[in-house]
Amino acid sequence: MQETMPRTGQDTGHELVAQHGAAVEQTAPARQAEYHRFDLWQRVDHIMLLSSFTVLGLTGLPQMFSTQPWATWMILTMGGIETVRIIHRVAATVLMLGAIYHGGITTYKVFVRRVRLTMLPGWQDVKDAFQAFAYNLGLYKHEPRMGQYNFAEKAEYWAVIWGSAVMIMTGFMLWNPITTTLFLPGEIIPAAKAAHGGEALLAVLSIITWHVYHVHVKRFNKSMFTGYLAREAMEEEHILELERIEAGRRQIPPDPQAVRRRTMVFVPVAVVISVSLLVGLYFFVTHEHTAIETIQPPTTEQLQAANPPGEQSFTPATNQALDQPVGITW
Amino acid sequence: MKQSVQQIFQRSLPFLACLLAAGLVVVLLNGLPALAQEQPSAPVSEQTPQAVTPQDALPAQMPGAATDSACKLCHADLTGTLALPSGDELTLGVDLSALDASVHGQHAAQQLACTDCHADRQRYQYPHQPPPAQNLQEYRADVAQNCERCHVSSELHNPGHLQAQDKTNLPNCVDCHGSHEVEPAAAMYAAPIAFCRTCHQTFEDPALAAVHTEVVASLDSPEHNCTTCHSDTVQPVDAQCKNCHSLLTSWVTLESGEVIDPHVTPAHIDASVHGFRDVDGKQYTPLACTDCHRNQQYTHYPHPPLEVANRRELTLQREAICQNCHSNIFDQTRDGIHNHALQEGNKQAATCFDCHGSHEIQPPDVPRERVVATCGSCHEDIKEQYVTSVHGAALLADDNPDVPVCTDCHGVHDIVQATSNEFRLASTEMCGKCHSDVNIMDKYNISTNVMETYVADFHGTTNVLFARESAHQEINTAVCYDCHGVHNILPATDENSQIMKANLLTTCQQCHPNASENFSAAWMSHYEPSVEHYPLVYFVNLFYRIVIPLTVGGFALFIASDVYRRLWNRLRRRKGQS
Repeated sequence: MQETMPRTGQDTGHELVAQHGAAVEQTAPARQAEYHRFDLWQRVDHIMLLSSFTVLGLTGLPQMFSTQPWATWMILTMGGIETVRIIHRVAATVLMLGAIYHGGITTYKVFVRRVRLTMLPGWQDVKDAFQAFAYNLGLYKHEPRMGQYNFAEKAEYWAVIWGSAVMIMTGFMLWNPITTTLFLPGEIIPAAKAAHGGEALLAVLSIITWHVYHVHVKRFNKSMFTGYLAREAMEEEHILELERIEAGRRQIPPDPQAVRRRTMVFVPVAVVISVSLLVGLYFFVTHEHTAIETIQPPTTEQLQAANPPGEQSFTPATNQALDQPVGITW
Repeated sequence: MKQSVQQIFQRSLPFLACLLAAGLVVVLLNGLPALAQEQPSAPVSEQTPQAVTPQDALPAQMPGAATDSACKLCHADLTGTLALPSGDELTLGVDLSALDASVHGQHAAQQLACTDCHADRQRYQYPHQPPPAQNLQEYRADVAQNCERCHVSSELHNPGHLQAQDKTNLPNCVDCHGSHEVEPAAAMYAAPIAFCRTCHQTFEDPALAAVHTEVVASLDSPEHNCTTCHSDTVQPVDAQCKNCHSLLTSWVTLESGEVIDPHVTPAHIDASVHGFRDVDGKQYTPLACTDCHRNQQYTHYPHPPLEVANRRELTLQREAICQNCHSNIFDQTRDGIHNHALQEGNKQAATCFDCHGSHEIQPPDVPRERVVATCGSCHEDIKEQYVTSVHGAALLADDNPDVPVCTDCHGVHDIVQATSNEFRLASTEMCGKCHSDVNIMDKYNISTNVMETYVADFHGTTNVLFARESAHQEINTAVCYDCHGVHNILPATDENSQIMKANLLTTCQQCHPNASENFSAAWMSHYEPSVEHYPLVYFVNLFYRIVIPLTVGGFALFIASDVYRRLWNRLRRRKGQS
């Protein structure tokens, strides 16, 4: 495919071009063109989220519905509840690392590179959503014309942000209930458990419906893995962005000197924040043990058989009785 | 002496002539001795010899003349003795008053005549010949034969003596009952032991002497005498066992210095589960001693001595007895903790007898309190805890049938190690069995959703999953008794209860040592979250119960519309193409 369909906007090493759409090569036929959509950082980010989310879902939901036969079967198949919990926690750690990573690259792009904030939701997205729905029902003549990220994608992105925040916070409470109750009432723990489960169910069901439909069913959208999206999809879902690219309105590369100056600020701040977040994560993961350590069972006690009932009535009165000669031949 | 006999003879010649005539008649009539023998003897009880009348066996006497007047004439006054060839002296005088006072005298329906017993007409025809007996014993034996003319034969009356292997020295009727002064049998039974002792003065077998002396000394009632053991007929083995062991009083000292009481009270066996029983309308009689003590060495007397070093060894040795009948239960005990301990060398571990007793076994759970007493005889500390618990107190107070006793939780014969993974893992089901039963819990106004709320929580979830994974899985999460206590379980309203709110943190800290004040409230105390109890949890649940269907439903609706539109578009395009 790569051979038959020449790509446009190949990563030339110029980051901004790669990041924000590529100019269509004048020689290539427009219908065959692919447009750069996600850079490597984003694709790695997605892989981290994809893998951790899937594992979290697969190990978490059976715990939520643990008494259901299917859930029990899943847990036992995955190696028992203790193993499942370990896997869940490893995946949670990956998710949190991913969150720190995402925060880092996003902040870099926003503050150092000064990219357009195309993921910010706005009133237009609400209108787009209603227009799309009305169009689907035949109540509106045209599909909405949407930019780099449409309302479906924004909804999903911010749902992940919100969901991750809820899951990480409630997860911390469940992982560290003793530390949590140092500051918060005990009731917060079962409440966190309820929220953790509810939010998880909401997230998984959303992914299964919304995400799967939009990027797997409606059209098998490989751009998050390949980095490129076909023109047809661009036309349908991101027509404004396509027009922008084709009009050659690329973002002007920022002043290299300013970038260098901002990087000088960003790197130490980012390092400090990332390191403190990583330390926090380490604390999160390792602080409490009582929930997973085994309390030793009590030692067994040694007992002596007392006078059995049948012989209880019988006790030699004096020592003399013991010595008294008795015929023992019968 | 001969001279005096002649003098008497000469003086009373005419009278004797008359007597002779009468004697002739008697002798003639006695010519039918066979007839007398062949007449069936009346069924004579040895207890009631006075019922016998001589008429039954003897020929009719001549009326009006005493047949023995002549005998008495001489023998009443005789003071001399007759020397028998052996040198024994035969007393010739007869105490007529003693004769008269005897059962054959005035007590008899018809007084016996001398010749009724001294019936050999050849010998007693006057003048007598000296008796053919060589010694006094032979003489007595000879006279005793005459008893059988009226009384039952000695084979029937006294077969015991006849069993003796040495038959040279058998006693005859006269030896026991006496001769002229023969007493009613009842008089003999007044002091039966002393009576036997007139002959049996020593006990010859030194191996048995001590036991025999002890048993004889214990023969304290008229029903107990020599014949208790030495009866006329051969006793069943069981009776032999009981005869001796019910009379033994002294203890057997073992090598260890410990003593064994060989005494067995047959009445206790009769009253035990192995005694007289009515099971489902079937009547059972007591087990015999040898039903349990089957070893051949116990089927005859004397049996060999105990060959055990101490009492415990004896108990352990005897345990195998029970499996002869109770094999299924015995097999169960092989898997039990007590037997495991025993196999590992703890000889104090409980065996059948330690719990059930031996000769006096009673139904083990009647009343149910008995179970507690039995287990408590070894597990004393636990028993003390139990009796103060909510379960134990109710049991002791009014024999409450709903509360568990030891065996309800621990099992009976195949008792599991209570500290084992298996027991711990299964314990919640065990508690839940009663505590989920509405029929039981409603009586005490106790919630029955304790299992559901437990399983819904972290501890219970883990427990259930572990149990489903493997029954042998080790678990560290709390089970019922980690929080509520084990044997000392108290109601949550009791101020000493481990789960009382004031004490709950301490209970949590058993496993979560760093837990702070707030931590214990993280456990919802078996409450379902509601507006009153744990409202935050309730509202979080409510939130997601609304948000999830709304969100996912909205997504689904949009997707459905999108699918619809795409199909519609495709259809239209196809139409346009065609």
